[in-house]
Amino acid sequence: MDSARWTRAGIGLAAGAVLGIGLYAIGQAWPMAAAVGFIAAHMVYAVVTRSQTGEWGPLRVSAGLVAFAAATYVGIVAFGNFGDPNAVDPNTYANTKAANSWALILTVAMVIGVVVTYGLELIQTGRLASLSGQFGTRTYLLMAVGIGVNVILGQAVASALKIPIYLDSIGTILVGVLCGPIAGAITGGLGNILWSYVIPPPFQYQPAAAFAITAVAIGVIAGLLGRAGFLRPRPNRSTGELLAGGAVAVALVGGLAWAASQAYTKIFETEISLFPDPANVDAIFVVLGWLALGLVVLAVLGLFALLLVRRDLTAAYVVVAGVLTGIVAALISAPIAAGVFGGVTASGTDFLVAAFRQAGLDVEAATTGQGLISDPIDKVTTFFTVYLILAALATRFKARFPQGEMVIEEASA
Amino acid sequence: MVSTALAITLGGIWGPALLTVGAVLLPAALAGIAGRLLRTALLLTLPIAISVLVINLFFYPAGREILFAIGPVRATSEGLAFALETLARIGAISGAITLFYLTTPAGDLVLDLERRGVSPRIAFVVLAAVQTVPALVERAVAITAAQRARGLDTEGSLWRRLRGVLPLAGPVLLGSITEVEERTMALEARGFTRPGRRTLLWHPPDSSRQAAARWLLVAAIPLALVARASGWLGWLG
Amino acid sequence: MLTFELVTYRYAGAARPSLQDVSLVIGSGEVVGLVGASEAGKTTLCLVAAGLAPRTVRGTLKGRILIDGTDVAPLTIHELAGQVGIAFANPATQLSGVAGTVYEEVAFGPMNLGFSRSEVIDRTEAALGALKISDLAEREPALLSGGQQQLVAMSGLLALRPAHLVLDEPTAQLDPAGTRLVAEALARLALDGASILVAEQKTDLLASICDRVVALDAGRVALDGPAFEVLGDARLAELGVAAPASVRLRSLAGAAGPGPEALAHLDGALAMEATA
Repeated sequence: MDSARWTRAGIGLAAGAVLGIGLYAIGQAWPMAAAVGFIAAHMVYAVVTRSQTGEWGPLRVSAGLVAFAAATYVGIVAFGNFGDPNAVDPNTYANTKAANSWALILTVAMVIGVVVTYGLELIQTGRLASLSGQFGTRTYLLMAVGIGVNVILGQAVASALKIPIYLDSIGTILVGVLCGPIAGAITGGLGNILWSYVIPPPFQYQPAAAFAITAVAIGVIAGLLGRAGFLRPRPNRSTGELLAGGAVAVALVGGLAWAASQAYTKIFETEISLFPDPANVDAIFVVLGWLALGLVVLAVLGLFALLLVRRDLTAAYVVVAGVLTGIVAALISAPIAAGVFGGVTASGTDFLVAAFRQAGLDVEAATTGQGLISDPIDKVTTFFTVYLILAALATRFKARFPQGEMVIEEASA
Repeated sequence: MVSTALAITLGGIWGPALLTVGAVLLPAALAGIAGRLLRTALLLTLPIAISVLVINLFFYPAGREILFAIGPVRATSEGLAFALETLARIGAISGAITLFYLTTPAGDLVLDLERRGVSPRIAFVVLAAVQTVPALVERAVAITAAQRARGLDTEGSLWRRLRGVLPLAGPVLLGSITEVEERTMALEARGFTRPGRRTLLWHPPDSSRQAAARWLLVAAIPLALVARASGWLGWLG
Repeated sequence: MLTFELVTYRYAGAARPSLQDVSLVIGSGEVVGLVGASEAGKTTLCLVAAGLAPRTVRGTLKGRILIDGTDVAPLTIHELAGQVGIAFANPATQLSGVAGTVYEEVAFGPMNLGFSRSEVIDRTEAALGALKISDLAEREPALLSGGQQQLVAMSGLLALRPAHLVLDEPTAQLDPAGTRLVAEALARLALDGASILVAEQKTDLLASICDRVVALDAGRVALDGPAFEVLGDARLAELGVAAPASVRLRSLAGAAGPGPEALAHLDGALAMEATA
């Protein structure tokens, strides 16, 4: 990333942080403050970019984000009662009505955001170059492979491993980063629907379709982060930069892992056992489960290898991308998990939900807590895996994808 | 049958559980696959059903009325009620999904959707994704076998197994990703990028009675939503 | 007729061109073999001939490619699909991956090109018949052997009824019987006036099916002439290409060996063996 762009990003982040912290300080709820802060940060970045380089792209994305946030806010005010304890059914502790409308509101808001972004481009340029540019034979094929990878690893983790992560968005994030946000969104959304309705057993996972909207959001975020160059290799950086980046990464990851292990030991008072009784599990899932576990280990080892051996600062970017994506995914999927499935989706995340409920939380708070632990760990692992996959691919191969130029090391670093 | 089943499924998510189960089991019985449907649906929902039951029965925070206790954990009747409610909903969804895929081969579904105007590109992605799953599994199995033959360990302690499986990750994932390049060339050489609709050789049969049933079910969705929002359905909602 | 006029091709991001100033004319009904070490530019020449480079694989092209005298530059890749067909070595990646049966797989190209239903059926059945795989029509492509898949892929190519053909190591997965079927199909197409370019490691095969052989070295044409001349050329080994068995035998036999007529007979016999 060139220094001018760094400066713009810094100005944006500073402005957003001031606004977000200010809102929180005057008593706004933290998701609200964080969302407004983030959007403000992006908007400042986009405005400065527009005035310095004349690029309209970031500003259009900013307009889409504002439209998305506004639509979500209007939806919440119109339908409902999120965060209002009186709306929770006193008998079931479930806010089913809210959960159903939550998915609906988000779907509508996302459509509005996308339409605004691309509508502005159509009005300004008369074409949809940035949309059609995301698609081509390569993208369609990678989407199909991505969906297959999502389903296989996701299913292996859900049925063979007892770890509170999903690993079902490697394909979504890969397509998003290499091809663009809409391609990523379709991979995620379509993939989850197929996972429920079309893929035959034993790879069928019926709860998946309900979470399609989460997968769509993951794809969009991955696409935008990829376009911003988050997964560009940044090897051979100075020790100071690496220490700062590593500190951020270790603090985020370590904190989340500690919270997860605390929750686990609190409820079961045993050590974490990674596998259920192998006799009860299909043999193929044991193989694939080990493959998935291998990826997790590979991702953790990768973090240190990148930082220590290659002195690659992108390790820190990967952690930030994963945590950001994970928090958004958790906030979107928690009400769905609570409302549609009572918090139980027959996977390794169930014990966390049980732990939170044992602690006296209602079902929605329990799924939110579970998601806020599981999702960032899951998405960091996933972004790492994607980064490792990208590192293993030939430059020539990557460069042929729509956003491929953004995952290749800059010539004059 | 294609979209009939799809519409049943859509209706089933919001509609009252009892009604939906009727709408799933009845057509299944008429099609003579009720046995297979029940077996498959049960098999698929059993793990989730057990989790739902256990977690809610014992860890339901609002539970007051104690049914029985095992050590420190107490089963409550409120937890049981909530678990049963969730189970009814999951059962309805699962039944509809199972009916759908038992009666509808993926190829037929996509062909029908394409005939009805879905983009041939999306149809391609769906079919290719469905075929990617067994292909990836086959690749994983083949590579595992090859690595066992070369003496790599896939049994034994955690670390030993991980060391055995790490070399798997590369070939399985990277192999299918790098193939994209060659497949892109082969597809484009066969006219894949030509804009517009492509010639379809056949389409699944669709009778007027099926169409009527489909529209009836689609129409039932907003009705169910309105009825539920207004509380008109009472205990069914 | 396929014509290359001073063609230079450099892949996007590559330091130097993969093809440099290649000029070739492949006449109507001519089967031209293409040999050379790996990275000599064989595959690039095939991709350029079929139009995939630079349309699908980005890069910069200098010079002209003409099909039957017409410059192809303004044509899109799907417009070229019916004009120049291309086959690759790996059967698995040539299959569409969406067809449930061999029949649908072979029909995939004609369906894409939007021919009428009866035309698609006609082309599909003819293409299946040409490689004698009509009995596989209802089978699932993914479950076939590599050799059978290659025949299916080749059928899918023939169903497009391309005027000209480019084959990049098409027989790598084929058994002798499959190779013979492909060679026969090529011969029939050549009789109908197609220009055919075959890149191949198996020089024995080229000796039996080609009129002419071109050897590439570092992106340039190093040798170009009648098949028996080029394949018998001593410089072939320096270019990293193994000569056909007949040539190696002949050099072993030395100056005191049998006369030219006997050698021609030997060539024929070995070629039969290579394809049988």
